[in-house]
Amino acid sequence: MKLNSLAKLGGVALLSAVVLAGCGSKSSQSGSKKQEISWMTPQSISTMDTSKMIDLYSAQVANGTNEGLLRMAKNNKVDPGVAKSYSVSKDGLTWTFNLRHSKWNDGTPVTAKDFVFSWQRTVKPKTASQYAYIFANIKNANQINKGKMSPSKLGVKAEGNYKFVVTLDKPQSYFKYMVTQPEFFPQNSKVVNKYGGDYGGNSTKNSYNGPFILKGWNGTNDTWKLVKNTKYWNAKKVKLQTINFQAVKTPSTALNSYNSNKLDYTTLSGTLAANNKNNKAYTVFPQASTTYLEFNQKKIPALRNVNIRKGMALAIDKKQMVNKVMQGGDILPKGFVPASMSKRNGKDFADQAYVKSGTDSNLTEAKKYFAKGLKQVGKKSLSLTLMGADDDDSKRATEFVQSQLTKLPGLKVTNQNIPFKTKLTRMENQQFDIGLSAWIADYPDPSNFLDLMVTNNSYNDGRWSNKKYDALVKKSENQDANNETARWNDMVQAEKILMNDQGLVPLYQQGQAALLRPSVKGVQAFTTSPQYDWAKASVK
Amino acid sequence: MVKYLGKRIFYIILTLFIVSTITFFLMKFMPGTPLTNQAKLTPSQIHQIYKQYGLDKPVWQQYLVYLAGVVHGNFGVSFQFSNQAVSYLIGSRMGPSLIIGGQGMIVGVLLGLVLGSLGAVKANTWIDTTSTIVSILLVSIPSFVLAVLLQYYLGLKLRWFPIADWGGFIYTVLPTMALAASPLAETARFMRTEMVDVLSSDYIELAKAKGLGKVGIIYHHALRNSLIPIITIIGPLTVNIMTGSMVVENIFSVPGIGEQFVKSVLTNDYPTIMGLTIVYCAMLCVVLLITDILYGLIDPRIRLSGQSN
Repeated sequence: MKLNSLAKLGGVALLSAVVLAGCGSKSSQSGSKKQEISWMTPQSISTMDTSKMIDLYSAQVANGTNEGLLRMAKNNKVDPGVAKSYSVSKDGLTWTFNLRHSKWNDGTPVTAKDFVFSWQRTVKPKTASQYAYIFANIKNANQINKGKMSPSKLGVKAEGNYKFVVTLDKPQSYFKYMVTQPEFFPQNSKVVNKYGGDYGGNSTKNSYNGPFILKGWNGTNDTWKLVKNTKYWNAKKVKLQTINFQAVKTPSTALNSYNSNKLDYTTLSGTLAANNKNNKAYTVFPQASTTYLEFNQKKIPALRNVNIRKGMALAIDKKQMVNKVMQGGDILPKGFVPASMSKRNGKDFADQAYVKSGTDSNLTEAKKYFAKGLKQVGKKSLSLTLMGADDDDSKRATEFVQSQLTKLPGLKVTNQNIPFKTKLTRMENQQFDIGLSAWIADYPDPSNFLDLMVTNNSYNDGRWSNKKYDALVKKSENQDANNETARWNDMVQAEKILMNDQGLVPLYQQGQAALLRPSVKGVQAFTTSPQYDWAKASVK
Repeated sequence: MVKYLGKRIFYIILTLFIVSTITFFLMKFMPGTPLTNQAKLTPSQIHQIYKQYGLDKPVWQQYLVYLAGVVHGNFGVSFQFSNQAVSYLIGSRMGPSLIIGGQGMIVGVLLGLVLGSLGAVKANTWIDTTSTIVSILLVSIPSFVLAVLLQYYLGLKLRWFPIADWGGFIYTVLPTMALAASPLAETARFMRTEMVDVLSSDYIELAKAKGLGKVGIIYHHALRNSLIPIITIIGPLTVNIMTGSMVVENIFSVPGIGEQFVKSVLTNDYPTIMGLTIVYCAMLCVVLLITDILYGLIDPRIRLSGQSN
């Protein structure tokens, strides 16, 4: 190779860069009300197979492209979906869904058999669905999942093409929310069988029965589109023609793209959220997720002392943590069960079960409790390790908690930030002293949180145990399961016990700070995953 | 030449074999599984998942299966993308990385050569000082800072280039600029030093004495002889670009492979980590081979076969 030819080539490349620089992109914003929006997502889709979906962002897309028996609606209500109506037997065990005549995007009808097929597929061990446990309350699901029974024995039945009957093990009043989730969506057996292991691997190897159709996702790329599905039963009501998705992994990039009208929605975090609080488009979407501290009572006997736990809980200034440290859209906690997730007769569960001391901050009180506790366990000082994941938010949170806890005389706290998965495994095996955890609800019912703290629940890492609490949770799931009021009261009492005994320390409730362009109307946001529904959205 | 190439290719294959073996066993020592919800899985499900990924077999069998796969370009199935083969994942995301990396390298090295030569020819003038300052600046600003600045000023404020996304040459300009900075600065520094040396050597004096024009001397005599150290640094610079591109890709939302590499490490996605390590290693070997061949082309004193006649 000769040097001069190389130099010329370089010259050409440079020149073209300069020339092209002149014709930069023009702003896509025009005055018309084109029914098209651009949506930011922090991660790309990992799979569109609803049996194998485990992340929030894939579920979010699936909620746009497919539909289950019911659809989540505002204020803890459900709207009809593929089922136009449903009824529950008196004992609460049999749920009958009457399906409408709706179609897949290939024109074939969506029938009760598609639900039977999908649910059996998720539960059978061969599919290896990591979310199969969510079906646990459906008759025989556990036995099938363990490989001890044939999938055909699952408590679901198609009576004709348009009646779908589900039999539960125990009454479950929130089952209506569960069937709105992607894991419970129907699957087109022909398409699943055609693609086998590749099913859901890209936008064409799938079938859709929801408001939109997924286009342009090749299995690994970062941009794709949701295009209006003309075969959707309620297509008349769907106003948006296109939703352009873009996976943006750098928050500042997303903000810049929003500011140049390339995106109509973007999430914000940390300082970016704080800097944009006065923006007209700034919105905080509360999430049914609590970040909390767990005390390992199995490993550290001193943590079995309630005064020590209370002292530590009171020492942490949650207000400062939310406003100055985390800075995003996070909100002050009211308890373990997050606020604005579950309401009954217009009253929020978190308000009804509120125990001031459980989430309060008061250093003088804290010192008193802690000193009393130390005395009771016969110790002069305690040295504990605080374990958290190694992402930015976890690091900030653990550093702050450490700084607050060391204000207690006689307490020494060392931080340990390790990769998320390692942290999970260690905490599951009680290899920690204090741990930073977070729980995101699968469905908007308090039981989703309260179940975690029952003695020997696999997620009760700290092994907190309280007989009264266990009894109340059990009662809410058994004898009171069909009595809405009694069930609700059981759960309120349980949460109060948990907070009074400081079984854990709620630090904050997560909220998603975001910019949503004010011209985009009607996007429905929920506290549980899938977070958004665009079926009724429009540009005005 | 053919003999030399054959020998080198044999060594490359040997290197790849050793690297893939070491990576495989290192991964086996690390904790982590493809399971996300371990606490909620039944033993029979866990067994199914292990079987699906071939993790139910003894380690030596896994190793053989893995080696056989690698030979056929099959790195297994990704843990993160439950249905995707790692080779497809790498294949579909490698293109954009290669484009911005390659462009960054070419633009950076060429501009660096020009800047360095200018500095040397006009040594100790304001041009030299400017060239030095520019290269010091570019080498000290990390590529991700530069990327954010470029994005903000050229993308958002001036709107000359798209802020992020992918889809045509115009989208590659900002990432290329961000990536070009470091090779530009390095090349310029090396070029200047070397050229100052060369310009003061006897044969340049001779050329001057023979009455050759300044341009001719620089172009025919000085430039070519100053290139040897540049070739030496191209290898390490390529490695830098490969690793630097991960952050730059993220900032400009380039659907490249760098981000997947980081993510696969964070999520213990072993098949992807192993696949990418091998691909990166192969690329590096090829770059080193090319630089060795370039040596011979530029400096006739270096014989590839290693035999002097």
